[in-house]
Amino acid sequence: MERAVITWRGMGRGARELVAVGAYAFVFGVAFGIAARNVGMEGWAANLMSAAVFAGGSQFAVLELWQSPVAWGPLLIATLAVNGRHFLLGASLYPWLRSLPAWQVYLAAVLLSEPNWAKAIEAEARGERDVGVLIGGGVLLWVAWVAGTIAGSGFIDLSPEHFRRFGLDLVFLAFLSCMLTGLRRGRSDDLAWLAAGITALAAMAILPAGWHILAGAVAGGLVGVVVDARR
Amino acid sequence: MHDADAFLAISAMAVLTYATRAGGFLLMSMVPLSPRLEAFLRHLSGSVLIAIIVPAAVTSGAAAILAILAAVLVMRRTRNALLAMAVGIGLAALLRAWV
Repeated sequence: MERAVITWRGMGRGARELVAVGAYAFVFGVAFGIAARNVGMEGWAANLMSAAVFAGGSQFAVLELWQSPVAWGPLLIATLAVNGRHFLLGASLYPWLRSLPAWQVYLAAVLLSEPNWAKAIEAEARGERDVGVLIGGGVLLWVAWVAGTIAGSGFIDLSPEHFRRFGLDLVFLAFLSCMLTGLRRGRSDDLAWLAAGITALAAMAILPAGWHILAGAVAGGLVGVVVDARR
Repeated sequence: MHDADAFLAISAMAVLTYATRAGGFLLMSMVPLSPRLEAFLRHLSGSVLIAIIVPAAVTSGAAAILAILAAVLVMRRTRNALLAMAVGIGLAALLRAWV
């Protein structure tokens, strides 16, 4: 396989192609800022959290635990449970990123989240070598998320019902579905994806929140390996 | 929460979250990349997406499921993600307004 590269042009393209998702990240950031304000979290703390943690699901999850004294156990377990899925994202990018210097990979990992990861694996599936799409998309999402949080924790008011009415709660899902569409290579994917979907649904019913993504993804990966081995 | 506690809690979350982001790559770099592992990782990408999309769509209701299906259809036809997203989201908004 050809070596991966990182270019400014690739970063620009990654940012441009994630503009719609970035707009959603901004609105979602506003929602987080408001929710943080509602549980009594100070503005600086909400903004710092968005900048340093940059993982919306886990940030919302810990709002319910934001109390004195700090509930360290639940706080850390919630963070790990909701963000454990990043582990899979990073692992799945390994074949693509491994020809890069390690420091570049571990620096880029700061920006790893679903939209720019999905864009990256879709690009990889098309034979793209430029890892810039992952980084440029990540920078855009980070800026949008932090700016949204600052606005929400500071001054903007907005109810979740507003963006549900306009279907805006689906921006993220619709984007991931589009990226998935570009990933299908053949029938072996169908069985793997079926297994992933069924397992994720079942796991959602029986496992604590957050674990269904791990369960479904691993099941799909394993079924895919078995299907590949049989042909 | 006191400022010092908040700062510590946020720092701990940040470190832990970074570990989840870097950990997958780190683990893969420590084991030999066999063809079977490579096949697993290849199937992992699509499976992660499915495992995020399917439960989220199901819990968001019928309008969400139809919207996602519409987006996928438009994407397959046009390869235009922005158009596909606009169609899916527009459909969800219409369905929620009328049904």
